[in-house]
Amino acid sequence: MEYSLHFGAVWASFDRLLSGLAIGLALAVVAVAIGTVLGLLAAFAAVSPYRPLRSLAGLYVALIRNLPLLVLVLLAYFALPQIGIALDKYQSFAGALALYSGAYLTEVFRAGLLSVPKGVIEAARSIGLTRLQTNVSVVAPIMLRNALPSLGNTFIGMFKDSSIAAAIAVPELTFEARKINVDTFRVIETWTVASGLYIAACVVIAALLRGLERRFPKF
Amino acid sequence: MNKPQPLLAIRGLTKQFGAVEVLKGVDLDLNQGDVVSIIGSSGSGKTTLLRCVNLLEEYQGGDIVLDGETIGYRSANGRRHRLGDRELSRQRAMTGMVFQSFNLFPHLSAAGNVMLGLRKVLKLPKAEARAIAEKWLARVGLAARADHYPSQLSGGQQQRVAIARALAMNPKLVLLDEVTSALDPELVQEVLNTVKGIAEDGATLLIVTHEMRFARDVSSRVVFMEQGRIHEEGPAAEIFGNPKSARLAEFLRNTRH
Amino acid sequence: MQAFLDQLWIARWPLWDGLLLTAGIAAAAIAFGTLLGGIVGVQLAYAPWWLRLPFRLYVDIMRGTPVLVLILAAFYIPAVAGLSLGPTEAGTLALTLFAGAHIGELLRGSLQAIPPGQAEAGRSIGLTFPQLLAYVLLPQAARSALPPWINTGVELIKGSSLLSIIGVGELLLRTQEVIGRTFMTIQFYIFAGIVYLVINIALDQLGKSLERRVGQH
Repeated sequence: MEYSLHFGAVWASFDRLLSGLAIGLALAVVAVAIGTVLGLLAAFAAVSPYRPLRSLAGLYVALIRNLPLLVLVLLAYFALPQIGIALDKYQSFAGALALYSGAYLTEVFRAGLLSVPKGVIEAARSIGLTRLQTNVSVVAPIMLRNALPSLGNTFIGMFKDSSIAAAIAVPELTFEARKINVDTFRVIETWTVASGLYIAACVVIAALLRGLERRFPKF
Repeated sequence: MNKPQPLLAIRGLTKQFGAVEVLKGVDLDLNQGDVVSIIGSSGSGKTTLLRCVNLLEEYQGGDIVLDGETIGYRSANGRRHRLGDRELSRQRAMTGMVFQSFNLFPHLSAAGNVMLGLRKVLKLPKAEARAIAEKWLARVGLAARADHYPSQLSGGQQQRVAIARALAMNPKLVLLDEVTSALDPELVQEVLNTVKGIAEDGATLLIVTHEMRFARDVSSRVVFMEQGRIHEEGPAAEIFGNPKSARLAEFLRNTRH
Repeated sequence: MQAFLDQLWIARWPLWDGLLLTAGIAAAAIAFGTLLGGIVGVQLAYAPWWLRLPFRLYVDIMRGTPVLVLILAAFYIPAVAGLSLGPTEAGTLALTLFAGAHIGELLRGSLQAIPPGQAEAGRSIGLTFPQLLAYVLLPQAARSALPPWINTGVELIKGSSLLSIIGVGELLLRTQEVIGRTFMTIQFYIFAGIVYLVINIALDQLGKSLERRVGQH
């Protein structure tokens, strides 16, 4: 079979790919923002002296990390309405991705918590900070800085996983690419451009993160 | 005439780490303005004693009374109960502690380190906390470094910030735990001079140290600990000049080369 | 509940077939991916830069592209290139390429973490480079790469669910077909979730016990 490359048909729809990319990024931002809150709560629970809290955090991580994201997404979109919770496709995907990223971030923050020197925590207790004040004013800032590189990697991972929203017809980059592929039959061109956009976005995000890491001094 | 009530009274303090008895009944009084140094070989329990006074360690027996208040535990129906987090925090704020390894907050500037307790524990407004922090940083000779981060300071400077952080809280008592042990030799003197300065200002200090000459210079009283007990105590001149027990004499021989 | 169990009984064989396909796809991808990753990792760690470049490019493209895009590309592209590849083969190919890149990268990390004294000691007793690799370097790297390698297996089991999107009759697609017939959406999705959970946790435990066994030295 003869096949020669013609990118024209793909460039004609490039704006759709770009808007798809923006939707994917937005989904990842919302999900990781919520996931950060979930991950922080679960990480503090995971290192707390109370056994039930530790078990709960462990259960959350083990449950979510071992489930395919697509199953979570389909549950949120198709199954929740059955028990009276109707979310639109954006909400259900962002919710599923938030829950998913929260489990990964729990591990990231837990490692960050263990990296805070014991002596620094004692110094905070010594000047009379309560346990909560110590966690908020001393432990969390140090831990967040130490966790920044892993936090960035998790964000990149979640951005790539936003492609799975295509399965419930969210018009993000992968969904648009598939449509252009079917409409134009410019198969190689479409997937080259789509993949190139993902890679370019990942490279840009990684560079921004490195800039952020430089801006805050490492402890 | 009533004897004045001591600022700190430690009564029959015992502590175990598992099966190991670290403190075997320690009694010690400090009056307002006293500067007491604790000397002794490593493992004698002196650092643990300090950490108990700052309520960083739990202890199994005895009482610590600070300015008339029994701290750390309450007794009910003949049983001891560790106090809650809020009470412990309030009591810890009454003593300041300076650690061997500085333990500055790495994410805060020198001024930020001093201000944290003033803002969060004493609830002072920001401007007032800043003014107090600057005053204390000036007192330890670091006025120009207020906005430097710990990673930008030398070990000696970090330790002086830690001293300012402890003193800015206006504690009744300051605990110093081997504050020069982690320093390079050329940085030791600046920290010792700072401690000497605050002693002359009239602060009440309980010091654990390996610097015998410093202990002799600065202390009103010296305590020699050995195997979890106070083995000998007395005025500095007497402890160093005329040790009574053979054990203390031997310890001093081994530390003074 | 009884209605669900009845339907589950009726659907037991399609679901079982789906499960076998899921396991088969993941097993094939980890097996071929490990072979591929072994070559890639060694090249990335030891090859001269001009030889390393194409491998680096391959790894970075695979790691920068979502798995679903790899799967769709593998599904659509072979046809226009004149190859006939069924959805199962295409999907397995995509997962293999993905696994090869990941395993290559983690093997490179493990190889480079070995102290240089090991290679020097091997050379000093006269080992050739392939011998050095086989008897000194790879055994040590394999040990430290074991936990992330097992984790790649878990990721492949999870990733294989994406093949349902291109119509591969693995566990998730079979589940969706059953749901289409019974309308028991929550029940069957949760059932599928539990099956994935059981496989992955079992894999995880297997990894941990392997780790304990080879970890003692």
